[in-house]
Amino acid sequence: MGKPQRRKKMHFGDTHLQRRWRTRNRNRDLDLIDEDLQTKSEQLIHQNVDLEKPGFAQFYCIHCAKYFIDDHSIQAHYKTKVHKRRMKALELEPYTIEESERAAGHGSFKQPLRRKIETQPSKEEFASGKRVTLEVVSSKEENAMES
Amino acid sequence: MRIETCYFCSSKVYPGHGIQFVRNDCKIFKFCRSKCHKAFKKRKNPRKTKWTKAARKTNGKELTQDPSFDFEKRRNIPVKYNRETWKKTLEAVARVTEIKEKRSREFVLKRLRKGHKVEVEMDVKDVQKNISLIRSPAAGLRERKAKEAAQEAAMMSDESDDEKIEYVDARTLEKQLAEELSSDQEMVELNE
Repeated sequence: MGKPQRRKKMHFGDTHLQRRWRTRNRNRDLDLIDEDLQTKSEQLIHQNVDLEKPGFAQFYCIHCAKYFIDDHSIQAHYKTKVHKRRMKALELEPYTIEESERAAGHGSFKQPLRRKIETQPSKEEFASGKRVTLEVVSSKEENAMES
Repeated sequence: MRIETCYFCSSKVYPGHGIQFVRNDCKIFKFCRSKCHKAFKKRKNPRKTKWTKAARKTNGKELTQDPSFDFEKRRNIPVKYNRETWKKTLEAVARVTEIKEKRSREFVLKRLRKGHKVEVEMDVKDVQKNISLIRSPAAGLRERKAKEAAQEAAMMSDESDDEKIEYVDARTLEKQLAEELSSDQEMVELNE
């Protein structure tokens, strides 16, 4: 136990994450994804063949805004923690510029709604009539879920 | 001149202050200082960051819904200068802020009052649980014991007055009962 127990920080903010936070590495924000889910889910599931994209843009996860190379890998992705975490994050209505203004006192503040989020339907399920839905969970059900 | 609001902490951004980020869908995110900008770059959620206005309002710490909030709005149509309206507006602004502050103060006080209630409840519970620290459970034990002994003695004396129990053989008891029954029946017949 002779060593110094806690070293002095020599490089403030010097982290390997700095590269991930660069503007060029930005990906789709939650509010945009929410818009996709509400309006463009059909087009995003059935995309035209694009040779530039992974898997020719045929396997796209809307929630994570990510292309996959084949059906197997996208199915595996649905089971990952990354995907589940993203679905959880989308449960509450995403934060927007309007909400920041309402919080500042420009208009009454609205509590964000909680929705039920499910993994998007596959192409076969889509053909049989399954669609992306964003059902609002009422506060009563919410309490029941928590308890 | 327009006073903008910070995207992250919802504070005021005066001209010449802060920085703004334009997303590739033309949405403009304004930040009051580098602290908020950095938090945005790190993708922090303003609702979960305790020091932001959004967090305080989602967690019910501040007054959220009130008609006094509806005065301040983004208005994109310029109003032509008029001394009279200018004067009136200034007066109204002072009055509105006064009312708003009063209501928000009341809201906070109401919220804190609940804490006091809980505190009292906890105190009562604490006393009930640890009453032994205040009043010894052995207090008055001797007197109580003496009382109990006296009661017992009284009970014993009552018992001595009870009838003596006779032990009878089962067969003799059966005979007795049968005789009694037959005598009863005879009595019934005689009565008829």
